[in-house]
Amino acid sequence: MSYSRDDIEALLPFYANGTLEGADRAAVEAALETDAELRADLAALQAIRQTMQAEEVASPGDFGLARLMRDVEAETPVTAPPAAANDDVVPVTRLRLWQTAAAVILAVGLGVNLLPGPGDAPETGRSIATDEAPTTEEGFSLASGGAPDFTIAFAPDAREAEIRALLLQAGVEITQGPSALGLYGLSLLDSVSDETARPILANSGIVDDLQ
Amino acid sequence: MDSDHKFLMTRIAGGDRQALAALYRALERPVYKFIVSRLNDPHEANDILHEVFMDVWRSADRFEGRSKVQTWIFGIAYRKSIDVMRKRGRVDLTDDSFEQVDDSPDAVTCLAAGQEADHVRHCIGTLKDDHRSAITLAFYQDMTYAEIAKVAGVPEGTIKTRIFHAKKLLMRCLSGRVERGVA
Repeated sequence: MSYSRDDIEALLPFYANGTLEGADRAAVEAALETDAELRADLAALQAIRQTMQAEEVASPGDFGLARLMRDVEAETPVTAPPAAANDDVVPVTRLRLWQTAAAVILAVGLGVNLLPGPGDAPETGRSIATDEAPTTEEGFSLASGGAPDFTIAFAPDAREAEIRALLLQAGVEITQGPSALGLYGLSLLDSVSDETARPILANSGIVDDLQ
Repeated sequence: MDSDHKFLMTRIAGGDRQALAALYRALERPVYKFIVSRLNDPHEANDILHEVFMDVWRSADRFEGRSKVQTWIFGIAYRKSIDVMRKRGRVDLTDDSFEQVDDSPDAVTCLAAGQEADHVRHCIGTLKDDHRSAITLAFYQDMTYAEIAKVAGVPEGTIKTRIFHAKKLLMRCLSGRVERGVA
């Protein structure tokens, strides 16, 4: 097969990304030996590729995984467990971690504010919503609910990733909220004690109020 | 690597959620990067990424193993992105006619002048979707032209043509920004 100049140019990006093989590769290499303009193009393409690959993108990460697992679980028929069930069962602790992340996703996805607005009630006497329904206008409660171990208000500039990291570090999950005042109820995960989690939450820069 | 992915696909087809989680962790970032490069909307890209992996879960048993798992999943992402763009009313599904563009081989100078990422991001953004997708898959994912053809569902020659034009337009854009002194 003979290669035109256009053929070589079309193959050049694949030479730059290292995927060209066989006759295509040989043809490009032969052209590069005699064509300075082509070599300049190659250098530019390699620089572009390097720049593109170096660019960081903040992907959904664990939040996306939590959302995926939640929806997959919702789709899985309860009466039809997989045949080789034992090693398909997600450990309870991991599920709860996913639930924790899913709870934050829900809060963010619902567009709720993490803190009370300027017109909200005074600091004392605030209480979180105690609705038992999965979602309400004022927030949500997870099925694993019960009385939360902590009531918390996050700083207004707290970012989703920071909240997620804090919850995981402290070993707690959001089980209630947000209330109309922006308060969340947190419950301890298995094997995490109040004494362990409380100082982590209390000393965090993104927590405005902890009870 | 692909044999690992194929093993996971077999497990997923059998209903193994942990295998799905493992595959998600392995491919979530590149697939998301590809989607967001097409849609330029992180929130929408989140949703599409989610839909892609839900499709993987639902249809893993239909994966026949004739292509790489990555190629198969990128193909799902490609089609879902097109659906979104159709809904938005802006999609150029085919654009393989020859375009006269200036050859400006001074793009290296441009890239050496700083603000490389900004220049490249801007110029990639000026490409039409078909061109941008081909370049993105070639340079972000280091795919072969045969793999890109499978993702896009077009002949290999079409991908070569798209890459040819995309490269020219990209070079012209980068050189133009240097000549105009765009910071």
